[in-house]
Amino acid sequence: MKNNILLLIFISFSTLLFSQEKSVISDLDELKLDIGQIYKPTTFSVDNQGKKYDCERVYYYYKKGAFSMTGKVMEFNRSKGTIKAVEPGYHEVVAICYGSGKSIRRTFNVTINYPKVKSIDIITGNESIYTDTYIPISYKITDQMDVVRDIDYWKSDNAERYFSNLEFSISSSNDKLNIDDSNNVLALKSGSATINVVFDGIKSSKTINIKKNPVANINLNLKKPEKVRTGDVINLNADAYDKRGNLISDVKLKYSFTGKSFDKSNSASGLILQDGRFVGDVPGKYILTASFGNTSKSKIVNVFQRKVQREVKKIGAGSVNDKHTSDFWVFEGVDKRDYAVTGTWGADGTAYFWDVTNPSDIKKIDSVQVDARTVNDVKVSPDGKIAIISREGASNRKNGIIIIDVTNPYDVNIIKEYTKNLTGGVHNLFIDEKHVYALSAGQKYYILNIEDPTNPVEVGMFELGKEGQAIHDVWVEDGIAYSSNWRDGVYLVDVGNGIAGGTPSNPVAFGNYTYDSGANHATFPFKSKSTGKFYAVMGDEIFPNGVNPNGTNETAGFLHFVDFSDVKNPVEIARYELPGHGSHNYWIDNDILYVGMYTGGVRIVDISGDLLGDLYKQGREIGYILTGTADGYIPNDTMVWGAQLYKGHVFYSDFNTGIGVAKVSELKPNNSMTNQYVD
Amino acid sequence: MIRFILFFLVCNFVFSQSYYVYVASESDDTVSLLKFQNNEINELERITVGTYPTEIEGPHGITVDPSGKFWYLSLAHGNPFGKLVKYSTESNEVVDETTLGLFPASMQVSTTTGFLYCVNFNLHGSMKPSTVSVVDPVTMTEITTITTGSMPHGSRISSDGLYQYSVAMMSGELFEVDALGLEVSRTLDLESKKMKMDGMKSMDGMKHSVVKPTWVIPHPKKNLAYVAGNGSDEVIEVDLDAWEISDRFKTGKGPYNLEISPDGKLLIGTIKSEGKTAIWNLEDKKLVGEVKNTTSVSHGIAISSDSKYAFISVEGIGGEPGIVDVISLENYKLISSVEVGKQAGGIAFWKQDNL
Repeated sequence: MKNNILLLIFISFSTLLFSQEKSVISDLDELKLDIGQIYKPTTFSVDNQGKKYDCERVYYYYKKGAFSMTGKVMEFNRSKGTIKAVEPGYHEVVAICYGSGKSIRRTFNVTINYPKVKSIDIITGNESIYTDTYIPISYKITDQMDVVRDIDYWKSDNAERYFSNLEFSISSSNDKLNIDDSNNVLALKSGSATINVVFDGIKSSKTINIKKNPVANINLNLKKPEKVRTGDVINLNADAYDKRGNLISDVKLKYSFTGKSFDKSNSASGLILQDGRFVGDVPGKYILTASFGNTSKSKIVNVFQRKVQREVKKIGAGSVNDKHTSDFWVFEGVDKRDYAVTGTWGADGTAYFWDVTNPSDIKKIDSVQVDARTVNDVKVSPDGKIAIISREGASNRKNGIIIIDVTNPYDVNIIKEYTKNLTGGVHNLFIDEKHVYALSAGQKYYILNIEDPTNPVEVGMFELGKEGQAIHDVWVEDGIAYSSNWRDGVYLVDVGNGIAGGTPSNPVAFGNYTYDSGANHATFPFKSKSTGKFYAVMGDEIFPNGVNPNGTNETAGFLHFVDFSDVKNPVEIARYELPGHGSHNYWIDNDILYVGMYTGGVRIVDISGDLLGDLYKQGREIGYILTGTADGYIPNDTMVWGAQLYKGHVFYSDFNTGIGVAKVSELKPNNSMTNQYVD
Repeated sequence: MIRFILFFLVCNFVFSQSYYVYVASESDDTVSLLKFQNNEINELERITVGTYPTEIEGPHGITVDPSGKFWYLSLAHGNPFGKLVKYSTESNEVVDETTLGLFPASMQVSTTTGFLYCVNFNLHGSMKPSTVSVVDPVTMTEITTITTGSMPHGSRISSDGLYQYSVAMMSGELFEVDALGLEVSRTLDLESKKMKMDGMKSMDGMKHSVVKPTWVIPHPKKNLAYVAGNGSDEVIEVDLDAWEISDRFKTGKGPYNLEISPDGKLLIGTIKSEGKTAIWNLEDKKLVGEVKNTTSVSHGIAISSDSKYAFISVEGIGGEPGIVDVISLENYKLISSVEVGKQAGGIAFWKQDNL
């Protein structure tokens, strides 16, 4: 027995000894490679006694993965055990040492050197340089692989990326220039000076001619309404003159503002662009200035409250509280009465039909149930005869669309199931005249001719034609299809407008705009009645904290107003962002926006006049309603899906409550119940 | 008396076994943790998965890693790429995630390499070769993709952990991936000569399989694999040594998933189009049991580690709940059922506990 105990102790000790933790050692650690260099690392493992073990196999991989949106950073030849450097930068490489059926891993930092700089061009623009002004410098850097990078003051991320790793210095040949700690260059004296730059050991110089600042006077004019309200865009127009009163045309004046809020608990806020446009967000006194060097001219503007708020009252609802409601469409039937159709989400494939002729007495009049779990989108033809609903979650995984005869909305009939090329699920669709635009598996859209609704014919298809192409929605107006493509933004596609020679069978893309968040979920075209400008209003869909199954979901994102008046040069000019709530679907009519802001309810926003900056902050909101109800699918949880203005009523659908109607009153909000102080 | 006590203790031991299973519900974006004990299965927890509360992300494949500490879930729909999400079995909370390809589906972790091999089904994409994603589950990094066939499905690993098998539904091929070398080592055309003669259709030059294989399962003890011929209503036996088809036997309409009991004796298959589960004795490949599932569209199979029970996920149609049926592999009878989220699909056996 004693011997057995000793044996047991010995075995335990041996096991402990031979099961020591091992670590991966590799000469990948802090390795530096040049682009194109192929390297075969040496990798092995050691135990905590320092004993070395060979790996039966070694795997190397880029830690951000084979699927990397940044492109291929390294190439791994696993049969040869080599790494090829592709993309310059600071990267993490994982080495897995495999042996005896076990694997251990460690992450190593590998730097792929930027190619050496070959040449630097110092760019100072075409305008004359005057004393007392800052010189707008940018650099065009060409490396030895002939990759050209433009770096300017505003692209600080690029500047940091390259300058932080490499020696950079800038100096002046004389005291005519002053260079501050942030490398800004101020012209002090007239005459000639040379800017000297050293970047990555490569020198470059540019001699500039500094003229004496001739500006003695500035004439500043404001083009503005008689009474300026928050959100009103003022155009500043300034000219510079010399001391003899001659107009100086080759100077670029700077515009700026300061201000003070009328409300001492608030701060003045606004935006001024260097083309002279200014908008005040907050009521207050603003000093608007045009300047050049040390000469300036200012004007003072009082900005008053916009005062567009109106009372918004709920006047009717059609409850769906045993399942989620998705999109909806309100339409005039062939009998001239008013009807609506609503979809359902994550349920049993039902779409409901409603008589909404009397908005205060909405009646559920019929329904269809199809083989699906989600009927995400519903649309009705302009003549009120045909409804189309989308399918997701069909039991046979052949989703497609369902075409319904709604000539009699009290007795609707399915007339066609269409699945060709649409089996992967149709998330959104649109009817324009005789064509249906149906998304396919979130990647592209097909165009179907439904002149004979019992026999739809595929006539066209539009896709971006790139790896990872994704689409969420399509909307058609005036022969232009606006597809919302997440990170690829909006695509304007001619499907019959004629602007680019497109037709439904030959869709031709002619415009595109993307933004950094990559969350483009819906787009609505907007021709401003008051200004004639044309915008694509691009909406986000963002759930910053994912799904909360037990209550209110946090939502984010906003509407981007992109001025598409020049389709080749779209400019994002304004936003509607409701703090704490995210955007979903929306409608624009007569320069008023009706938007479902998910948890923020239905919001009605004045978007008349020129648009600039933060529309919410400018007090453009006319009113809102919250739509959660105590008997909702999730009780008291407002989750507005979208809104539609129809015959003067604001219809909406809510994820938890069904369909509802509100009316914007001419009356101002009744604030008799709000807290007031007595002065 | 002693015999009676022993009998009582054995019985008590047998009947106090608890079995735990995870099942994914593709049209509800939920995963249910189920417990089967004393001939009754119950839902312990329903876990909401995905990121968008108003978009269906489609949890499809699910697997538990060999340590039992983590479960992995593939979300089929993204923008447009799907995801692999890692959860803790202790908390059922997300640990990490990574992006994979189009419609990532079934998967398994190799006990040898430790890598997870997930097929990118690309069910609704064009008829072109798709991939198997190889993921290091420690860092949750997709370390490489291996190109296989059109619409690959049914990723299963050999018992020695050295090979991964999948079938390409549209191109009708069986692929063997060297799990260590991370490359395709062998490919086998699953069509019979007759099918090639008169059944094969060609559209745009692409092969459209008559077999439409949807699943492959390697035998745990023999060098054989079994393939579900969803289109040809058959099970195809493949001799892995000779790398050739060694047998074909007919099934009901639309066999979909296949699994083999860990003891290697029984082959269980879902007969999707008939809403049934079939059980074959692998000694003679005779059908020994056929069980009508509780609802329609039978989908996935998980088998208890003691080879006593098969857990079958059943999708249902439309608003019907998903179902998990428990079938005894001793008497081939339906023992118990439980409702889960809509379109129950991927299913994975987690563990067996003694109380």
